[in-house]
Amino acid sequence: MTALPVDGHHPLPARGTDPEWFKRAVFYEVLVRSFKDSNSDGAGDLKGLQEELDYLEWLGVDCLWLPPFYTSPLRDGGYDVADFKGVLPEFGTIEDFHEFLDAAHARGIRVIIDFVMNHTSDAHPWFQASRTDPTGPYGDFYVWSDSDEAYSDARIIFVDTESSNWTFDPIRKQYFWHRFFGHQPDLNYDNPAVQDAVLDALRFWLDLGIDGFRLDAVPYLFEREGTNCENLPETHAFLKRVRKVVDDEYPDRVLLCEANQWPADVVEYFGDYAVGGDECQMAFHFPVMPRIFMAVRRESRYPVSEIMEQTPAIPDGCQWGIFLRNHDELTLEMVTDDERDYMWAEYAKDPRMKANIGIRRRLAPLLDNDTNQIELFTAMLLSLPGSPVLYYGDEIGMGDNIWLGDRDGVRTPMQWTPDRNAGFSTCDPGRMTLPVVMDAVYGYQVTNVEAQLQNTSSLLHWTRNMIQARKENPAFGLGDFTDLGGSNPSVLSYVRRFGDDIVLCVNNLSRFPQPVELDLRRYEGYEPVELLGGVRFPLIGELPYLLTLGSHGFYWFQLRAPLQEVRA
Amino acid sequence: MTDRPVGATTDPRVEDVARLLVPWLHAQRWFAGKDRAVDGVQVVAASLLRESGPRVWHLVVDVDQAGAHTLYQVPVSLRDEHVDRLEHVFIGEAGGLAVYDALHDKDATAEIARRIDGEQGTELLDFHREPGAEVPVDAPSIVLTGEQSNTSLVYGDIALLKVFRRIAPGTNPDVEIHDALTRAGCEHVAALLGWVDGRWTDPTTGRQEQAGLAMLQTFLVTATDGWRLATTSVRDLYAEGDLHADEVGGDFAGESRRLGLATAEVHRVMAEVLPSGELDAAALRAMAVAMRGRLEAALEVVPTLRPYAAALNSAYDDVAELPGPVPVQRIHGDYHLGQVMRTVRGWKLLDFEGEPEKPLAERVQLDSPVRDVAGMLRSFDYAARHLLVADHPGSEQIAYRATEWAERNRESFCDGYAAGAGWDPRDQRALLRAYETDKVVYEAVYEARNRPAWLPIPLAAVERLAPASTPEELP
Repeated sequence: MTALPVDGHHPLPARGTDPEWFKRAVFYEVLVRSFKDSNSDGAGDLKGLQEELDYLEWLGVDCLWLPPFYTSPLRDGGYDVADFKGVLPEFGTIEDFHEFLDAAHARGIRVIIDFVMNHTSDAHPWFQASRTDPTGPYGDFYVWSDSDEAYSDARIIFVDTESSNWTFDPIRKQYFWHRFFGHQPDLNYDNPAVQDAVLDALRFWLDLGIDGFRLDAVPYLFEREGTNCENLPETHAFLKRVRKVVDDEYPDRVLLCEANQWPADVVEYFGDYAVGGDECQMAFHFPVMPRIFMAVRRESRYPVSEIMEQTPAIPDGCQWGIFLRNHDELTLEMVTDDERDYMWAEYAKDPRMKANIGIRRRLAPLLDNDTNQIELFTAMLLSLPGSPVLYYGDEIGMGDNIWLGDRDGVRTPMQWTPDRNAGFSTCDPGRMTLPVVMDAVYGYQVTNVEAQLQNTSSLLHWTRNMIQARKENPAFGLGDFTDLGGSNPSVLSYVRRFGDDIVLCVNNLSRFPQPVELDLRRYEGYEPVELLGGVRFPLIGELPYLLTLGSHGFYWFQLRAPLQEVRA
Repeated sequence: MTDRPVGATTDPRVEDVARLLVPWLHAQRWFAGKDRAVDGVQVVAASLLRESGPRVWHLVVDVDQAGAHTLYQVPVSLRDEHVDRLEHVFIGEAGGLAVYDALHDKDATAEIARRIDGEQGTELLDFHREPGAEVPVDAPSIVLTGEQSNTSLVYGDIALLKVFRRIAPGTNPDVEIHDALTRAGCEHVAALLGWVDGRWTDPTTGRQEQAGLAMLQTFLVTATDGWRLATTSVRDLYAEGDLHADEVGGDFAGESRRLGLATAEVHRVMAEVLPSGELDAAALRAMAVAMRGRLEAALEVVPTLRPYAAALNSAYDDVAELPGPVPVQRIHGDYHLGQVMRTVRGWKLLDFEGEPEKPLAERVQLDSPVRDVAGMLRSFDYAARHLLVADHPGSEQIAYRATEWAERNRESFCDGYAAGAGWDPRDQRALLRAYETDKVVYEAVYEARNRPAWLPIPLAAVERLAPASTPEELP
């Protein structure tokens, strides 16, 4: 990649001085496999990722989230971990990771990694020992049973591929319990040795210097008969134990919980409100994402306004994580059945675009590559309450490949240049682990970082500017949220306020230009200053404040208080 | 502070104000008698709400228009000096003081909120606070635009004060129903926070009268009215010539269904906590007679209806033949998309005053909830077609789409209502058709008089409800 104009690096502050960094951070999810290949073997690796840190620093992201790069048979995108302390050889070594981490920190970029607590791969030595030696030290590391009848109230998550949560193991001649795939046995957290082994693995990475974990699939750690085996009190107790280790031994680290549930249920994973939260500091807010799609499609603010209204307050020390797209499908578990059918009909016109209960597509193709809509969606992502998580490639409007299996369609190589293999790798194109996107609209010849770097009106530059604007206004990360409503149902307007930093966001969800009259009386005398261009708008008066927006247009304003007159 | 019923006032400025109102009333949007001259304004009740800064008088005035008397409520504030921001509601000068419409004067409206909060009445005015209600005593108020017959103001973004301008003696149904629904914990109305009752002596009969004068309720801060929301969906459909109503992004059916559910729920609570009864066969015949009478009168105003008269009347005949009993209860009475608000917590119903043109006794009469359903079904038809009239006259393609939209949303509303009520209004075919017909006839008269360009909307419905009678069928 070409050198990027970064004016001096800004390394991380000293540990222990910024415990709430995650509340202001812009996260960026990047797949090691798909970002940059440094050794021409056709798969991305840690050294490749390290090479592109300048790009990420230039873009302005604060924290990288790395999905699993552990040793793995790769039957579930690496979420089938075969060694909690090992790096998949094709991605590099622990030393490579250490170097990458230091290089990121030197640029002020933090790194969190995925940690799969609930289960391992069946290739993990613990499982191999457990199935061959039932009375040995690992005999009790998994949930074994003579029958497949226990815990029948637990639902099956991957309805496309699994028919039961129990699978018979011909070696041990017993059934083992798994909430996900049959090759991913659940760990037995009732065994204290399992808890200790997992904590030991967490400490291993924290000692290396990572800035936190995204904890995968946390609701399922324990099983109890007569329950749905989700969100059990024992699970919360274990998370409190993990958090205490982090707080006591590793300052400024974050635990981000993945629990695909309604916000009212997810808040339990923040822990005790009275102490500002004592489980995970962050949790994903799942329903906001499909609601944004619904709202724009319906040209009505209610899908978003409603979910914000239904979102409970969270403990002081906590923050939501929000996203538009990630490496998984666009999950539709948080919408009603009617809405799901509708979303499928609208956004997954080809049956191959469906996966489980969701849609496997990237942002740009979901929005028909409509720049106005991509910008509107991104503006909402960057301004709604919570820390935004960008997905690699969406900043240049990358496409997907629905002909690839499972969820690989949205995990194709990053498109750096119009050169061979999109500048991702110098290997023989036939050796690429995943093919680059080559279609006429999203193909790497037209959609790539190099071209967009040179074009200052590109989506990439626009995204960077928006990230900068967000960082200059603490209200986005730390402020409260007030929905302004208003008479026009197609316009979603809200105020984010943190101290005297007040930001007004106005979003036109319609394909057509819209006027809106906002009741801004509480800011009478304030001056709205548009955040990207610095344009000053007329002072707010007592009467409704009139704005007009182009189709799918939006505004970000800072509301500046009237200057106090200086008395001579 | 004392009340000064008319004649006993020692403040001569009150009489001066009454004189100022003679020309002023005509310019007020809420004044119903714009078509006739005002011959005199007499103060029938005056209550001093505040001594000074500003001085606030609450007046009930009798307006004489060629012998027809109507009562209006006019709170005024009197200030020593002119105030720029109030110039647009300047009424005139009385006794050297500048007189303004007090509902626009924040200092005056704050007094009303304070009095509701403290239930601090006067000789002629009672201020009530709902048990447990929090009244915003410090939030500045602003008058909302867009009101027709009343004046509404909002305190901060917390509470809405609806001031009934035209006063009819008796219990105000809006206050009464909001009070009952709020106490029953109904989620589909804006909760009542308080209200104001007033008393006066009728100058002609000498009788002591009373009425509800104003109502304070929760302000629906993020709301959009149903008409705006529905027409947004219609506009979206019109922009897609080749897509059907269920295919476009702005499909409204989900909202219509939820609105049907909310309507059924409100009806259910009203039946529980307010009076209810039954109509026997005789009462149903009387209802049919009244409907026929309205049609007869309408034929004079809208001769275009004549060929349909027999078929329209057949709808009323069916009601006259119903054996009864038909359950009746208090209903909304003037139900349409403009009377509902979509909030982030679902649909809320507004304005339980009933049809404003009808006398109070009729507005509080028990009736079948099917009448409200019919009103909303007619409103869907209006929403579907009103843009047609203005923007796409003569476009058959869009007219077809409009019919599709109306049908889809009428059905969804009924589905939702049926799910909420446990009975389907479409099964009450005779009643539903008669109420719809009655409403269409009313609309035809209204449009012929006020908006002839819109007459095609009810006429299209007439065609649907009552295909023109063929000559053989005529007597």
